[in-house]
Amino acid sequence: MALDILSLPAPRLLPPGLCSIIEPDILYLHIISDVAIGLAYFSIPVVLLIFARRRRDLAYPWVIPLFAAFIIACGTSHLMHVWTMFRPDYAVEGLVKLVTAAISVATAILLWPLLPRFLALPSAELLAREVAERRAAEARALASEARSAAFVEHLAEALFVIRIESGERWIIETVNPAFERMFGIAAETLRERPTEAAMPPEVLAQVLPHWRRAIATGRPVDYVVEAQAPVGWRVWETVLVPMSGADGQVERLLGSARDITRMRRLQSDVLQSARLATIGTMCAGLAHETSQPLNTATLWLRNARVAGEAGGTEAARTRLRRAHDIIESQLRRAGDLVTRIRALPGEEAEAPEAFDAVRIVDPALRQVAMAYAAEGVEVALRSQAARLPVLGVPPRLEQALLQLLANARDAVLDRRATDPDAPACIIVTLREDAGEAVLEVEDTGPGVPEALREAIFDPFFTTREPGHGSGLGLSLVAAVARGMGGRVEARNQAGGGAIFTLRLALAPASSLTTPVEVLN
Amino acid sequence: MAPCILLAEDEALAAMAIEEELLAEGYEVVLAADGQAALEAARVRKPDLLLTDLRMPRLDGAGLIRALRAEMPDLPVVVMTGYAPPGGAQAFGGAGEGPVALFPKPLDMDAVLVALRRMLPPA
Repeated sequence: MALDILSLPAPRLLPPGLCSIIEPDILYLHIISDVAIGLAYFSIPVVLLIFARRRRDLAYPWVIPLFAAFIIACGTSHLMHVWTMFRPDYAVEGLVKLVTAAISVATAILLWPLLPRFLALPSAELLAREVAERRAAEARALASEARSAAFVEHLAEALFVIRIESGERWIIETVNPAFERMFGIAAETLRERPTEAAMPPEVLAQVLPHWRRAIATGRPVDYVVEAQAPVGWRVWETVLVPMSGADGQVERLLGSARDITRMRRLQSDVLQSARLATIGTMCAGLAHETSQPLNTATLWLRNARVAGEAGGTEAARTRLRRAHDIIESQLRRAGDLVTRIRALPGEEAEAPEAFDAVRIVDPALRQVAMAYAAEGVEVALRSQAARLPVLGVPPRLEQALLQLLANARDAVLDRRATDPDAPACIIVTLREDAGEAVLEVEDTGPGVPEALREAIFDPFFTTREPGHGSGLGLSLVAAVARGMGGRVEARNQAGGGAIFTLRLALAPASSLTTPVEVLN
Repeated sequence: MAPCILLAEDEALAAMAIEEELLAEGYEVVLAADGQAALEAARVRKPDLLLTDLRMPRLDGAGLIRALRAEMPDLPVVVMTGYAPPGGAQAFGGAGEGPVALFPKPLDMDAVLVALRRMLPPA
């Protein structure tokens, strides 16, 4: 039991420094408790400090040392209390208490304004809930991303992403399988490669102005490009969407491309057909109307010949014979022209038959190879098809091919006239493409001027000097192609030179009579 | 008796010249200025061969061939034309059994005469 220290009689006071508690049990209770409290109070800050050291993300970390100081001060004051039970260092104890009081008051004062902020900190439960929500959102995002990836993977349109790096460096970040299919280029040969290394220069030259425009304006652009791809000549339409980063600068270009080769071909076929129908009607009418007077004149010339032989001097008869010869040759010339014009509408005078186009090409090439070789023009055959069954009149296709070869030779010689070191080569290619028999004649000449690419197939159109070439050669080729359910196209290759492509409808392979049957 | 050729040609000047050539060859010639006239003439005098233009007023060559072949399936026909019909000579073959030859205008008269000699019994 504790006694009131003030009520104790002075003589009964214990020696100074000794505890004023007389009962030993109570004395020990105080001593043990105070020492325990003091030691515990020294231990707790260590835990706090270790915690603060390890967890660097604490809100208000300066509160920890303050708490630690406060607790240490409290612990010191408890131990000081035990000390003063044995030695009356009350001044020291008072000082310790003063320090404790200062730290306690400061802590208390600082703690109150912090209360709302501490309350605002999310609780562990709240955090757990938030984490769970975030995880769910993340799972949703992943699922959505997987859906997008599957979509991109299976989309029919070719997709590509170009990353723009500093200094006008363009990197192909990714392409989808449709891109690989459309152009016949494996994705791994493109991914993470700079565009100038991965793309043909002529394609890059076509697309770069559009890319730059998309970057400059920050708006989507669409454009059409045509070029030679590993899978053949392709025309594609691209929509390009610039993607900006946080700083508003365009970081990536997202492109989606659609193959419009077939559509373009159909469009140009429709246009060409309409034009050729007009030309065909005109040619047929012209041929018929011209053939009548030519016919009458030719018939009467025979009459005149007979009459001429009947009388006059020998000199007069010779003169007349020569005149008749000249008239006849001129009538024949006009007649030949009429025959050629008549053939232009593409209707064959002979019944079409199924035959192998490959077998037409060889004799035609043999026919010209010698003569061309003598002029230094090389002719090569690059056949990728063993058989190309087509329906038509074999000599007409041969005639068309010979015409294309003659044009190619002229082009090659033209180029060599201005550039003696230019290659002089004609390559004939045979292949099957999308259900069509394709026959290509490629030359190393100067190419076809872009503006004339359609007009060159019109009758009487010629780039030759008057008197050289009738301007009916390519019209004839177009007529033959049309008569065989196909068409002819001209384009220029990247390295110069023209390519004329005959595309003919394939006949069923079973329609071909085998050479054995022919022999029988 | 000389074989009789029915000549249908609307160009009078051409018809005259051809007629002269045929007569010189020893054939008998019946001249008609169009298909309809030829059809009527054929009913009066049955021809051994028809030599016809295709484009003619009233009845064209194709119609004339069909009509005559209906009555005389074996009649040989020689067509002279400024047009090359699709399918060539076969285009007229289906209408009967007789042979058909096709000659573009301007005519190569020598070739026509050779064909006539081949298709007709000797005069």
